[in-house]
Amino acid sequence: MAKTGRGFTRREFVKAAGLGALAAAGAGAPGRARAQPKTLKIIQWSHFVPAYDKWFDGVFCKQWGEKHGTQVIVDHIAIGEINARAAAEVAAQRGHDLFMFLSPPAAYAQQTIDHSEIYQQVAKRWGKPIDLGHKSTFDPKTKRYFAFSDSYVPDPGDYRQDLWAEVGYPHGPDTWDDLRKGAKAIKDKRGNPCGLGLSQELDTNMAMRALLWSFGGSVQDVEGRVVLDSPQTVEALKFMRALQKESQTNEVFTWDPSSNNRGILSGKLSFVLNAISVTRTAEKENPEMSQKIQIVRALKGPVHRLACEHVMDCYVVWKFAQNPEGAKQFLVDYIDAFGEAFKASEFYNFPCFPRTVPNLRELISNDPKGKPPDKYRILGDVLEWATNVGYPGYATAAIDEVFNTFVIPTMFAKAARDALSPADAARAAAREVQRIFDKWSR
Amino acid sequence: MIPAPAVVDALRRRRGPSRATWLGIALFSPALVYILALVGLPLVLAFLYSVGDVTVGSVGYRFVGLYNFRSVLASPAFRRALLDSFVFTISSQLVVIVCANALALALRERFRGRGLVRFLVLLPWVAPVSLGAIGWKWLLDSIYSVVNWVLAQAHLVNRFDPPMWLGQPALAMASVIAVHSWRMIPFSTVILLAGLTSIPKEIPEAAAVDGAGFWRTHFQITLPMMAPIINVAVLFGVVFTFTDMTVVYILTRGGPYDTTQVLPSLAFFTGVLGSDLSEGAAISVFLVPILVVVAILMLRVAHRAEIA
Repeated sequence: MAKTGRGFTRREFVKAAGLGALAAAGAGAPGRARAQPKTLKIIQWSHFVPAYDKWFDGVFCKQWGEKHGTQVIVDHIAIGEINARAAAEVAAQRGHDLFMFLSPPAAYAQQTIDHSEIYQQVAKRWGKPIDLGHKSTFDPKTKRYFAFSDSYVPDPGDYRQDLWAEVGYPHGPDTWDDLRKGAKAIKDKRGNPCGLGLSQELDTNMAMRALLWSFGGSVQDVEGRVVLDSPQTVEALKFMRALQKESQTNEVFTWDPSSNNRGILSGKLSFVLNAISVTRTAEKENPEMSQKIQIVRALKGPVHRLACEHVMDCYVVWKFAQNPEGAKQFLVDYIDAFGEAFKASEFYNFPCFPRTVPNLRELISNDPKGKPPDKYRILGDVLEWATNVGYPGYATAAIDEVFNTFVIPTMFAKAARDALSPADAARAAAREVQRIFDKWSR
Repeated sequence: MIPAPAVVDALRRRRGPSRATWLGIALFSPALVYILALVGLPLVLAFLYSVGDVTVGSVGYRFVGLYNFRSVLASPAFRRALLDSFVFTISSQLVVIVCANALALALRERFRGRGLVRFLVLLPWVAPVSLGAIGWKWLLDSIYSVVNWVLAQAHLVNRFDPPMWLGQPALAMASVIAVHSWRMIPFSTVILLAGLTSIPKEIPEAAAVDGAGFWRTHFQITLPMMAPIINVAVLFGVVFTFTDMTVVYILTRGGPYDTTQVLPSLAFFTGVLGSDLSEGAAISVFLVPILVVVAILMLRVAHRAEIA
């Protein structure tokens, strides 16, 4: 083998040169790492109010990133893709530092950090979270928070004032009984059907829970025992069956989450249960219709006046997040800025820490876009009638599966279509719920 | 001196595999790795999950035997999905084979614009299935349905009470079958067209000379000769249909009240959206025996076709 003048072989030279290059690169690496900004990756839904995304991405995240020397990357996905994306990130153990769900993600508890620390920090500045936020993110068994909820979206009733005034309800229905009488009168007189969904989608999930609770039924009790098969549930099913036959059409079995929006905005439907995305869309795209569509509180039933939150914002920091400290700090700072978030969302996102928007009632009573300006005033007492998806208990993993496999909408749809009698539908659904609860408790 | 054959063999064995063998291995390896990574591994995982207690958020694994299978068998939604899977698959394959036969016969003939027609027929197959299904969802929408608008304009339906294509159990199942068939017909047409063109022209011509009409020629000569290729088309179609959830997921999400739910969509709802991966895996594992039988049949038919 050829040797150089000082006894180096060619191979040794190449090796030494390679090691030298690696050493130089290694010495340079920390310098580059210092120069590179930190990164915080966030994923959340494409908000129903586009102005919110503009504020969040373009103003808040930008300013927060500049302040903390962090590059904030926000990815937006469609509402229907959230759970599949979360499952993929967990399977890969890679993904975003902050992941936002729209319903309590109790099934992911083992993959998320304990968010108690964030709650404690925020509570020092803004007081305790509302019960709705607590019950949606706290696991009573492990005594830890598996997620952090910044906000929720109320789920009032949206009604066509002109149609309801014609049948003697100028302020819309106040009770479920009013709804049945008024909706039938409108359909008989004008042909406009009522629009409570009976499909396997988000809005139906919320609407049917509101009906169930208002009649005194529920999926579980406070202790987490299945109590769905009850006389109260059967009464709720009988009510829905009658409403369907008297005032609705079969289109409600075909719906996706935006169908009822389209239905009432097109002038077809007399009443829907939905967030204020309905009225906000009307204000932008159809001002004439906007004046006709007004909102009412959750309808009062024989037992309660209750509705589910329409969506529950739940941020999680994965255990495998690359920047967990940045994610925690981001959430704390985000709550500090929630007053702006509330306005940017056009009153869509309500605070889980009410002190962050101390003048909430004043703001929603004087909305420049609302016609009349106090259109949204009735949302001022929303916490008296909005509750969590696991009411009266916590939002557990079993409740999450019952929610995401649409057991309750299916139960109501079967009774409404006479596929099963109300009593049989309640019994069948209760068996299914019990099966799911048994699985998660093993 | 010429070496004896035994000596040549011994020398070859000593040298190891030939270059041709190495080339064969090199060409075959990517396919093997691909199948093992994307088919074998998920299949093994599905079997493991189906007898475990894995959820989307769990960190460990505990063997639970047949618990998940007992659990899904107790579920009315599963039993309904099993039935629907058969209805969906058998009905759509009947529609596909009848339509593909007719199309193949038509496209075999020479006529002006045949190339364009062949291109149009192929479109549903080459377009992404999700796009096609979303298009159909709008065509069958409860408020803005073009189909209903046309039917109402033709006074065939009441414009105030039109059919809800995706909202009534029978219509919804018919709709998903129709849309899936629309997507699968081009695939079968191409296969059948290839089979049809391979039949020597002399045979139907001889039948015509003997006085056989179109139907007799078709049913007694053409179809029997095409039987192996039709079997291949059907078996591929069955596999594609049994394992597909796109059309159902986009059009109905299994509704109304689970009446169009099929096993793949139920597995997705339970495993991914409902967070119970083990039960989702148990549901999808129910497909395996059916698909194994179909795969064996496919291989046999392909073998027979090869021999013929």
